[in-house]
Amino acid sequence: MSAENRPARRVFGLGTTIEDLKAYMGPFVGHLGYKFNTETDFVDDVLDSELLVLDRDGDVFCPCRMRTGDPKEDLKIVCPCIPFYADQFAAMRKCWCGLFIRTDVEDGADLIGVIEQPEAGALVEVPVMRLEDLLPGSVRHVKIGKRDLAVARVGDEVFALSNLCRHAFGPLSDGFVDGYTLACPWHGWRYDVRDGTTDHPNADVSTFPVAVRDGEVLVTVAIGRSR
Amino acid sequence: MSAHLYALSTCPYCRMTKKFLDEHDVAYELTEVDLLDGDVKDAESPKGAAAAEVKRLSGGTSFPVLVVGDEVVVGFNKGRMTQLLGL
Repeated sequence: MSAENRPARRVFGLGTTIEDLKAYMGPFVGHLGYKFNTETDFVDDVLDSELLVLDRDGDVFCPCRMRTGDPKEDLKIVCPCIPFYADQFAAMRKCWCGLFIRTDVEDGADLIGVIEQPEAGALVEVPVMRLEDLLPGSVRHVKIGKRDLAVARVGDEVFALSNLCRHAFGPLSDGFVDGYTLACPWHGWRYDVRDGTTDHPNADVSTFPVAVRDGEVLVTVAIGRSR
Repeated sequence: MSAHLYALSTCPYCRMTKKFLDEHDVAYELTEVDLLDGDVKDAESPKGAAAAEVKRLSGGTSFPVLVVGDEVVVGFNKGRMTQLLGL
């Protein structure tokens, strides 16, 4: 079945194929700056293993990790898990298992197996979306590990701020962009997206450097930190 | 030197590790944790006890976990296996 004719949604279950998983996961990870590993036999082996897990456990849990029995924890190991570990993966250029690699990696063979984990606290550019995913004058919520960011676009410039308004912790990512000002959706506290400053004393929010390269929006964060 | 491989039957990296050990004629004990009886949350059951042992050894829930003497290798790490097994 071609991608055009495929139903918008389908429920995974008996009869799900490797091609179904590829069609489901490929476009999504593309938005996040990843693609399937170039080693196609390895990709098929991992996805085939995920189908075994799907048949037995009811979802495409990671085939190399044991479910804990805690549903909240186990949902973190449903493939793809990129947003949960986006900072570490950006530094490693791959997800834990290497099923997915960064889009600019030409040969993924060396990214199969254990590689050195990045140092906590080191700065890394994390791809969070493609520029065309964010319309000028709009703002979106982005998760990088435990961080919650508001990523706003003004013209062709993109800015990243901590997502929580310092007033009543409203989600700035649901707010209103007006020029370089982002207004909280709850009570209208206004922040300058360029530096996180606000009209209110001692209530500025953190900002994070953003670059746009090859159509990707990249936010710089410290690995393993929550802010 | 004794070696013990904790694996999951579904895990591609566990298969790679087994192949690597077999190709180098390394004798090892194999525990496929997901195929054991019981519940992962029940430490009295074989599966729960093995999962708890893996957690103790590796600090996590990722496989494969290879124990060589006092050393533990998590994941398919050819370099460390080669070093520890003197291959």
